Amino acid sequence: MSDETGKTDDGGMKMPNRRVVLALGAAAASTVVTIRPALAQTAGSVLNCEIPVPAPEAPAGSHIAADGTLVPAGTQGAFPPAPRPITGEEARALLNGGPTPAGLDAEAAQAYTNYIRRLQAGMSGFTCYASLQMPR
Amino acid sequence: MAGPRFVADLPEQLRAVPLETLTAVFHAPSGMTHLLAPPAPQILAALAGRPGTAEEVLGRIAEQFDVEAGDASAAMASRLAELETAGLVRRA
Repeated sequence: MSDETGKTDDGGMKMPNRRVVLALGAAAASTVVTIRPALAQTAGSVLNCEIPVPAPEAPAGSHIAADGTLVPAGTQGAFPPAPRPITGEEARALLNGGPTPAGLDAEAAQAYTNYIRRLQAGMSGFTCYASLQMPR
Repeated sequence: MAGPRFVADLPEQLRAVPLETLTAVFHAPSGMTHLLAPPAPQILAALAGRPGTAEEVLGRIAEQFDVEAGDASAAMASRLAELETAGLVRRA
């Protein structure tokens, strides 16, 4: 860099003392980028995101075994798909050993929890699950 | 045509950090952070606690800079509109 920097003891808003060329730019140009405080919204969105169990891309009719793997319907000890998506807040409670969400069978909920633990990038619900791991 | 008058907050309400040719500005009243390219920081300085129209801002900036623009009035109106959208200047 050159020696063009002026006194910036007020945090950089002061203009240089030397006369310099200041281009105003074209009318259509843009000189302001606002950084949205995305982290501030995370706490709220975590509560509202949803994890389908199983993911819609899973083979049709898949059931969920106790260890969370997907198995064909009718497999001994496996549970049918969750009647509705698990919300982020419910998943957080389940992962922490909390109460079974309303409307879910307790044993099935354990299988669903194991399914959620196995979610990987690219699967429906993974982003929601990953966001639960972030510290508040 | 006088046009609307704008005003910006005082420098004490901003935390500005020069980053090479850009300036990162934290606007304390709104809690928002912005990245500004010239001439936005200079416009904010020209309007800090001192309301003015687009023409007046041009005059203030011309006191310290050689202003370069095809259509200075249109460019300044555009810059002020951007800064107003970002919440860094408001109608006086």
